[in-house]
Amino acid sequence: MMTIVHNVFRRKVRALLTIFGITIGVFALVVMGSMAEKINLMVDGGTRYYQDKVIVSDASMAGGAFSSAPLSIATIPDIEAAEGVARASAGVFMLLDDEQGMSMGVPQMLVGSDDRARGYESFALTVAKGRDLLPDDRGTTVLGTDLARALDAEVGKTVIMRGREFEVVGIYDKTLTAPDNTAAVPLADAQELLFEGLPAMVQTQIASEQLATSITAYPEPGVDPDLLAGTIEAQVSGVKASGPQVFMDQFESGTRIFNSIIFGVALVALLVGGLSVVNTMIMAVSERTREIGIRKAIGASRGQIVRQFLAESTLIGFLGGVSGLLLGWLATLGVNAVMGSSGTILFLVTGRLALGSLLFAIVLGISSGLYPSLHASRLRPVVALRYE
Amino acid sequence: MTNDTLTLDAAYTGPLATAGVRPETIVSAHGLTKRYQLGKDNFVDALRGATMQVWAGEMVAIMGPSGCGKSTLLHMLGCLDAPDSGEVRLDGSRVDNIGDRATTQLLRTKIGFIFQGFNLVPTMSALDNVAVAGQYAGRRRSQAQAAARRALQAVGLAERAGHRPSELSGGQQQRVAIARALVNHPLVIFGDEPTGNLDSASSSEVTAMMRDISVTTGTTFILVTHDPDVASACDRTIFMKDGVVTRDSGLETAWADEAA
Repeated sequence: MMTIVHNVFRRKVRALLTIFGITIGVFALVVMGSMAEKINLMVDGGTRYYQDKVIVSDASMAGGAFSSAPLSIATIPDIEAAEGVARASAGVFMLLDDEQGMSMGVPQMLVGSDDRARGYESFALTVAKGRDLLPDDRGTTVLGTDLARALDAEVGKTVIMRGREFEVVGIYDKTLTAPDNTAAVPLADAQELLFEGLPAMVQTQIASEQLATSITAYPEPGVDPDLLAGTIEAQVSGVKASGPQVFMDQFESGTRIFNSIIFGVALVALLVGGLSVVNTMIMAVSERTREIGIRKAIGASRGQIVRQFLAESTLIGFLGGVSGLLLGWLATLGVNAVMGSSGTILFLVTGRLALGSLLFAIVLGISSGLYPSLHASRLRPVVALRYE
Repeated sequence: MTNDTLTLDAAYTGPLATAGVRPETIVSAHGLTKRYQLGKDNFVDALRGATMQVWAGEMVAIMGPSGCGKSTLLHMLGCLDAPDSGEVRLDGSRVDNIGDRATTQLLRTKIGFIFQGFNLVPTMSALDNVAVAGQYAGRRRSQAQAAARRALQAVGLAERAGHRPSELSGGQQQRVAIARALVNHPLVIFGDEPTGNLDSASSSEVTAMMRDISVTTGTTFILVTHDPDVASACDRTIFMKDGVVTRDSGLETAWADEAA
């Protein structure tokens, strides 16, 4: 092993520059990849949330759970009457701040739900500190961890959301997905906030306690939620029902772009890092032609020569991979720490990303060293020994 | 005497002859030719039908003017290069044009090499330079290192095992190279100007060491050299000119004895 290290660092500056080339590639891969991992995790969370339910919203809007068009909770009996619906539950979803800018993740949300989903909702949130909301609560909230940090909130303190004071009674466990940026409030509070934002003309037509932005329909066991969505639309007038497939299609189109970016970064890393390794190894073979001749003259097989040079290129790839991974990891930690105060966690370095990046760098080292190694192994000893 | 008058059955006159022992032929070449192309229309005939024979346990020098084909012949006898025509035998078997795998096996088990420029790997210690030949031959690292220590002990360099080539004198480097050639107990050690880069004191020391190893272990040495002192330490000297063997001191002695 020490011989391999010595051989790689015979030309220290050249070796370090080559390793640096791979470091940059892996750094980019880790940073972009960790962003994709974060988004994929949120998408996973969304997929899990929507997988076993149908979101019913006003037919005039197609915003699904994030629709702000009001819907009357009087539709709940009609929805529950549809064949295959086990339970329907009203919810009010709204942006925490209508003015919040573009976000890389899920926006900060304020959510109020009735108690009807209890026993049907499979996406369970657990409370890390304090307590969950109770049916008779008013003016209370349980915050997601990222939102709690962004609002500098703790259990027992009050926070102001959409101009109204709420007492923080609990903070949810981290989910690494949308609920981390969500404030759960009693349905009645959410309904009042929604009502206040409605045009005066609409306010005259509907009472605050009748408001919802969506109604979640839970299927009976064995009922396909996508098929159930069609059934609900057919049987309940004035609503749009969206099954899991609708949300998955939305998520997929979003993640496809990110995955393309990651693939592009990986390709650039492959080209830049790989070519620098190829160049370095060709130089190494050229400089050590005589040594190759000696080794062959004392009994080295072609395979042993190939392994020797491949070990060196693999070491270059490994060192570049480790340093790129470390730098990328530190960079994502730094950015997360800075942006985390505003509730935006952009990066997530997962085990598979770390391992994948490292393996990528090693495979890059191996594949880039293959041609120079094979070339070295094919040298005839008598020719190599004459080389000056 | 011309190359044509040499026969492969010539009488052995090496050191064992006086004890009445007639050893086997260990290396022989017959009618070797080799042409190198240096440019589009520029060819050099390095060998033009070289024929020679070496018996087991002999120490033989090959001498001749620069460019006469000594090193080319040595490389072919040692399987580092292949002739265009002719035949090379080592330990009773044809070894010309035998392919990479078989050549590698021979270089690991039956052949050792010593070069003018020492040719040690600069990043490795003396011990590792010797041990690597043992590892190539299939020994485990620990076994190869133990064998390397014994070989370095044999050449008087046990104390310098941890030094890199740049920390050793020329004579010491060549002794490391001899240890490396010896470590797999080859039948034949080929030396291409083994004292060419040494001062006269180191040259004498290295020559005496090879002589001693030849006598004590029975290892055959075939040395290309310009140095008459090296040649005089050998059992016989083969002279070459223009790609052919022109004289063999051992055979002349034998014929002189027969004539007398």
